[in-house]
Amino acid sequence: MSQDKYNKLWKALGIAVLFAIPLVISDRYFLHLMVMAGIFVMLTSSWNLLTGYAGQINLGHAAFYGIGAYTSALLVMKVGISPWIGLFMGGFVSAFFGLLLGIPSIRLSGPYLAITTIGFAEILRLVAMNWVELTRGSLGLYGIPPLTAIKLSPGFSIEFTSERNFYYVLLIAIFLTLFCFKRLVQSEFGITLKSMRDDEPGAESIGVDTTRYKLAVFTISAFFAGFAGALFAHYQRLVSPDTLSLGETFTILTMTMLGGLGTLAGPVVGAILLTFLSEGLRFVEDMVKLNVRMVIYGFLLIITILFMREGVVGLFSHYRRSGDTGQ
Amino acid sequence: MDILRTDKLSKWFGGLCAVKEVSFSLVKGEIMGLIGPNGAGKTTLINLISGVFPPTNGNILYQGKNITRLKTHSLNKMGIARTFQIVRIFKTLTVIENVLTAMVNRKTYGPWSLAWGSLFKRSGAFTDNKDACVKAEELLDFVGIGEYRDELAENMPYAFSKRLEIARALATRPEVLLLDEPSSGLNPKEQNDQVEIIKKINQQGTTIMIIEHVMKVIMEISHRLIVLHYGEKIAEGEPEKVYSDPKVIEAYLGGDADA
Repeated sequence: MSQDKYNKLWKALGIAVLFAIPLVISDRYFLHLMVMAGIFVMLTSSWNLLTGYAGQINLGHAAFYGIGAYTSALLVMKVGISPWIGLFMGGFVSAFFGLLLGIPSIRLSGPYLAITTIGFAEILRLVAMNWVELTRGSLGLYGIPPLTAIKLSPGFSIEFTSERNFYYVLLIAIFLTLFCFKRLVQSEFGITLKSMRDDEPGAESIGVDTTRYKLAVFTISAFFAGFAGALFAHYQRLVSPDTLSLGETFTILTMTMLGGLGTLAGPVVGAILLTFLSEGLRFVEDMVKLNVRMVIYGFLLIITILFMREGVVGLFSHYRRSGDTGQ
Repeated sequence: MDILRTDKLSKWFGGLCAVKEVSFSLVKGEIMGLIGPNGAGKTTLINLISGVFPPTNGNILYQGKNITRLKTHSLNKMGIARTFQIVRIFKTLTVIENVLTAMVNRKTYGPWSLAWGSLFKRSGAFTDNKDACVKAEELLDFVGIGEYRDELAENMPYAFSKRLEIARALATRPEVLLLDEPSSGLNPKEQNDQVEIIKKINQQGTTIMIIEHVMKVIMEISHRLIVLHYGEKIAEGEPEKVYSDPKVIEAYLGGDADA
């Protein structure tokens, strides 16, 4: 019981610190990094549900991110809907594509599925690149409206153009996302995903309709990735075909592997660590005049796979083995 | 009373006939042994009945319903459970989780209702569910691995992982249990334990069909035997009769039975 109370205390303290950060640190660059880390937390967590928990290797996750970003941006710019609704539309359209990509997963698995998902993302990237009338091609969509201000009273409204205010929106989005993933993973649904990941014929033999589970988990994962993409679109206010690239997926993959695949805390830790590390490496790149970032990513990935399969989170859970909660 | 019946069941893999027009019926409450030399098509037959792949020809009837083309998961929901020749337990789950995941009522709840429901329940609703845990523990005790409750399944000794697979199959509350070589790779002591477990399961009313290579085991527990040879059923009946059937001896020893 007291252990439980301690945990609650730590959680409350953590949340308080997260909410207090923009009040204490006003450096816009730092807050920008926090926002980017936050968007990656949503992306890595959604990828982790699909690949870490359900075992469906998806190397086209950036496609969902891009679909969410483009969908929301285009709907807001061309149709004129509110960006707030755009966020959810980004999620839903991405979820629909998730369902579509889920179909090949019924028959394919492992490397075959991985290659299919790469193809899926590449096709979409080429569409975004070449459908110039709609997407402005490689120039990207620019001038995407920010999230509309919330009017509290005449003369006083909350704008979402500043890093600080956006940070709060994102923080709430992340809490909701992680809450959903925690509940999903620690339930009958989650244990079924893990069963399917461990042994598909075994899961079938206890009545798991693996086809429907795969479709469901692709859809759910894509929804959250799309939502993250839409948030990004209205924050950065620029979306280019690069968001759909394989490089983006590999960033997500490296973050998750580094943090700990198939744990709840892993993707969060990995996303924050790598976001700040890669910014730090920018200075190194300027000094040595070489693109060392990808080299270091690759190196970290190899180290993780060779020496710490369970990632950074796995290193700590040696001290307190609390199953897969990783909290 | 037949609980399961096959009617001229055949399975071709390309030009190879793995199972050839096999007809048999499984009587409710019995233990039926399925034997035959290597490559006789025993596992293929079990795979056909459990819906791993559909037969090329023929029908399978279960409790009067035609189940020929149903998938494994649908068949499990109807009451047909199975184990595998090479264990297929969920390695990264704990022993009790392996059983708990099999206890989920999948007839009523599909992925979407489970996912949606999980969002509004307290987290960990699954493992906090006392009734489910008690039942899962009973099953683990029943097969004699209760003390390994919280061990990761991949750390289990081989013999115990075979028992875990049986417990997992039982957790789905089957009418018919298909066992594919439950005592392969076990030492004589472990084989005896396995026989006791299978007998106990049968005494509780579950109909069992079992593939087995260990003759001592199969002769001891089967009420009836079916012998397959090159995909064809060559004998059927009480164990003693089948055991002395010249065709069976020929299949196992090869050549002329008189030699």
